[in-house]
Amino acid sequence: MKEKKNEEEHPSFSMDRAFQRTKILTNHLLQSSPSSPAQIPSLSSNACLDYSPPELSEGYAFDIKEMRQLLDGHHVADRDWLFGMMMQSKLFNPRVRGGKVFVSPDYNQSMEQQREMTWKRIVYLLERGVFKGWLTEKGEEAEMRKFAYFEAVGLFDHSIAIKLGVHFFLWGGAIQFFGTKHHHDKWLRDTENYLIKGCFAMTELGHGSNVRGIETVTTYDSNTGEFVINTPCESAQKYWIGGAANHATHTIVFSQLNINGTNQGVHAFIAQIRDAVGNVCPNIRIADCGHKIGLNGVDNGRIWFDNVRVPRENLLNSVADVSADGKYLSSIKDPDQRFAAFLAPLTAGRVNIAVSAVYQSKVGLAIAIRYALTRRAFSVKPNEPEVLLLDYPSHQRRLVPLLAKTYAMSFAANYLKMLYVKRTPQSNKTIHVVSSSFKAVFTWNNMQILQECREACGGQGLKTENRVGHLKGEHDVQSTFEGDNNILMQQVSKALFAEYVAAQKKNKAFKGLGLEHMNKPCPVIPSQLTSATLRCSQFQMDALCLRERDLLKCFVLDVSQHQAKGESKEHAFIMSYQLAEDLSRAFSDRAIFQKFVEAEATLAAGSLKDVLGMLRSLYALICIEDVAFLRYGYLSVDNAAAVRREITKVCSELRPHALALVSSFGIPDAFLSPVAFNWIDANSWSSVQH
Amino acid sequence: MASSVSSQQDHQVLVEANSSARILSLNRPKQLNALSFQMISRLLELFLAYEEDPNVKLVILKGKGRAFCAGGDVAAVVRDIRGDDWRAGAKFFLKEFTLNYLMATYSKPQVSILNGIVMGGGAGASVHGRFRVATENSVFAMPETALGLFPDVGASYFLSRLPGFFGEYVGLTGSRLDGAEMLACGLATHFVPSAKLAMLEAALCIVDSSDPVIISSIVDQYCEQPSLKEQSVYKRLDVIDRCFSQKTVEEIISALERELVHKMDVWISTTIQTLKKASPTSLKISLRSIREGRLQGVGQSLVREYRMVCHVMRGEVSKDFFEGCRAILLDKDKNPKWEPSKLELVTDSRVDRYFSKMNTEEWEDLKLPTRSKHKLPLYAIAKL
Repeated sequence: MKEKKNEEEHPSFSMDRAFQRTKILTNHLLQSSPSSPAQIPSLSSNACLDYSPPELSEGYAFDIKEMRQLLDGHHVADRDWLFGMMMQSKLFNPRVRGGKVFVSPDYNQSMEQQREMTWKRIVYLLERGVFKGWLTEKGEEAEMRKFAYFEAVGLFDHSIAIKLGVHFFLWGGAIQFFGTKHHHDKWLRDTENYLIKGCFAMTELGHGSNVRGIETVTTYDSNTGEFVINTPCESAQKYWIGGAANHATHTIVFSQLNINGTNQGVHAFIAQIRDAVGNVCPNIRIADCGHKIGLNGVDNGRIWFDNVRVPRENLLNSVADVSADGKYLSSIKDPDQRFAAFLAPLTAGRVNIAVSAVYQSKVGLAIAIRYALTRRAFSVKPNEPEVLLLDYPSHQRRLVPLLAKTYAMSFAANYLKMLYVKRTPQSNKTIHVVSSSFKAVFTWNNMQILQECREACGGQGLKTENRVGHLKGEHDVQSTFEGDNNILMQQVSKALFAEYVAAQKKNKAFKGLGLEHMNKPCPVIPSQLTSATLRCSQFQMDALCLRERDLLKCFVLDVSQHQAKGESKEHAFIMSYQLAEDLSRAFSDRAIFQKFVEAEATLAAGSLKDVLGMLRSLYALICIEDVAFLRYGYLSVDNAAAVRREITKVCSELRPHALALVSSFGIPDAFLSPVAFNWIDANSWSSVQH
Repeated sequence: MASSVSSQQDHQVLVEANSSARILSLNRPKQLNALSFQMISRLLELFLAYEEDPNVKLVILKGKGRAFCAGGDVAAVVRDIRGDDWRAGAKFFLKEFTLNYLMATYSKPQVSILNGIVMGGGAGASVHGRFRVATENSVFAMPETALGLFPDVGASYFLSRLPGFFGEYVGLTGSRLDGAEMLACGLATHFVPSAKLAMLEAALCIVDSSDPVIISSIVDQYCEQPSLKEQSVYKRLDVIDRCFSQKTVEEIISALERELVHKMDVWISTTIQTLKKASPTSLKISLRSIREGRLQGVGQSLVREYRMVCHVMRGEVSKDFFEGCRAILLDKDKNPKWEPSKLELVTDSRVDRYFSKMNTEEWEDLKLPTRSKHKLPLYAIAKL
């Protein structure tokens, strides 16, 4: 400290420094001249760290293109097209660091600037035809392509993905699923072309997950044939409405429908909130939600409705309608069922979030693992080179299991997408349970993975330009929007409870949700687990099924004991929350594992399958390492120790494949970050000059 | 006899070694310095040797006569394939792509003097190097789609990195660029009037350094800022971006046609005509190749292009390459009969086949030479 101060105060010191720099430069020049190679020992290569690209030292034992095809699952060339589209445009803020181009939003911009840029990028993609068919084309191919594009855009920035998600999947989806033909004809094409900009006003200040409790009220005026939408109190203001603060012209309004003094429950209406030039409509008040810990490119707003009048046909009437003379008409009499039927199609949002979380984990891991393959710290012996981070078993233990988890999530995400795309009225329940479970688990995993990756990058992880740390703030919201994770997991347990009770009551076998294993005899865990057993997929499956099966029985028993004391079922669920949590986790781990096994089974013997086998074992073992296995006594203390030993072994076996495994994610270099490549050059003095 | 053959072949690349710079001249002026197998082998040999030789600081590559290099000697390759089998052709490309990779990751600066025609393989032998000096005589083109081939020699790597979608335009249409355009888009790093080339060469011979910053400052002294001609395609980047960013070749063509709806434009209609004359298979695999190259390192790009070029040589999916060579280079009737003849007949699965491994015994993916032995310069590391 003291010396530094001196240097600043006394010109002679900085002169010395300038002199020294000149001397160093002269040395450099001399050193490279042929006349004097022997005089000066090669200072630069010994004294300084060199960045050694992992591509030159790490081999690929399997075809990474094939692996990527397996992970992405579909529309690989289309994704690449879109990546290229973003990389080649100045709008996506390309910057050269360490000789490579990186694209990422400038998060140092103000909130308003970020919103403006997000919107400009959407317009650019719109003009290039990226959204063609997103609402007007039907069928599996179109839906899967839409997923692929959405995932690719989400790798650039969460804000742009959410802006699109609100407009196409929430606003557009509501019109598609809650509306009927005249709504489709009137709104879908204009939405796809962004002639109108939609938003989705469901959440209120006072009610989030409990949609049925919202307080906005709509009545019908049969004299004019209009609905009248009103915000009766402050807690009824619409909150977090993406797009509402700046851009949206129209919104879906969720509201209680009160017909002649009878509340018919929550219904959805279309209301215009801005005119074509962006002025807020009469009787609408809009305020900004303000700066957030992430997603500042999305203009979240709050809306108050002051007896806003909309025409009768603005009720989205797929489930219920109101006649011109004011009669309430619905084919579904039970309001519970009506509500369920109503919300069922909204699972698209959860599917998107689950899948997007997996891709963020891929970004984090690709960055942290590439860094761990180029960054060294501490020598084991004096004068030896420092050790590569990823050659430390402890560093492997931190990152490689997360790699296995991400592979597992990828396969499960592909299954979830197919489940959604091939949906039928019969599969609604499965979609609801699986999407709830995967959305919660994937987004939680993602936050854990990003945190570990950011720490594994050390101080470099703090720099926004290195992405991995910043992504945490951007994606934190995933654990609470479109269904709070904890609530979603409770719904999973409740659904499993219902399956169990139904099977018992009707004395029928379990069918669906992967619960068929409950029909078989209870698996037995060997008293002494060997390495071979631990790597056997049958054992792994047995262990995960055993936990799920036992916890389901325990949960049902616990709930029934509460009920036996005269408590209501609802209260019993609330009291049994610990078992419910463990059960939903057990269900999720098993369901994800099953998809991993199925993906592996599609492959012919070879290097790809071998590596996937190791990853599958590692994923299973970290699930079995979960404290629940000891808590409920499924594993002995000795066996738990054997599991942990095996984990370190598999990690070290996967170490040589680390680069290939992250390269297989197929994320273009430009969408990673400087710390994943030549981080020395990216931080060089000459890079400061430019 | 043997020695005279070998010395004759050695004359195809002239070497001047009077300073710390090595000046290599491609010397088949009658063939516009088209790269023969012997020339490629010789260049590879020289480049490898210079990397080991501490007395060599930089390599200057130029051409004798009015061309820098008009490409690989494709006519010879086709003769080989016709006489023997596709493996002889594959061998040619294996050597050439290895040379391209070596140049792209070369530990010493390469300065290419592009005072004339630079096409196909000529681009591959220069653009990967650190410095490319264009002149008023430079003519650049990647004409492969008209020949039934695709822009190879690592072009999927460097074309895809041009601004916007200019690379797609240059790669699909084979459009000719002059020195000013080469500099503007980044294919050239400098523009030096040909009158000053001798002085530049002399200056480079005494620089005695491998530091790219120093070499760049030397070239800068002879550099001029040329202006783009009035009709330059580089002034049409907005149209090029709108059209050549489209996902498929069909969509690119209809985007161009849509541009014409608003107003007649000779350049756009010529572009459409050129695309319609090119091999449909070539157009589709070229577009896919450039798009993939944009997301790959230079090594991966060359490995992929080698797979592609082997499929082309083998001719199982399409024989357009032989037909193109016949019509343009051998019979010169300029009327190739492409098969499939229309874009819509070239299905995705047909295109996919060019990107798959060859399912033939004894065939192996391109094995890139190990590059960890030498300290690579920063710009080379960034290409991996």
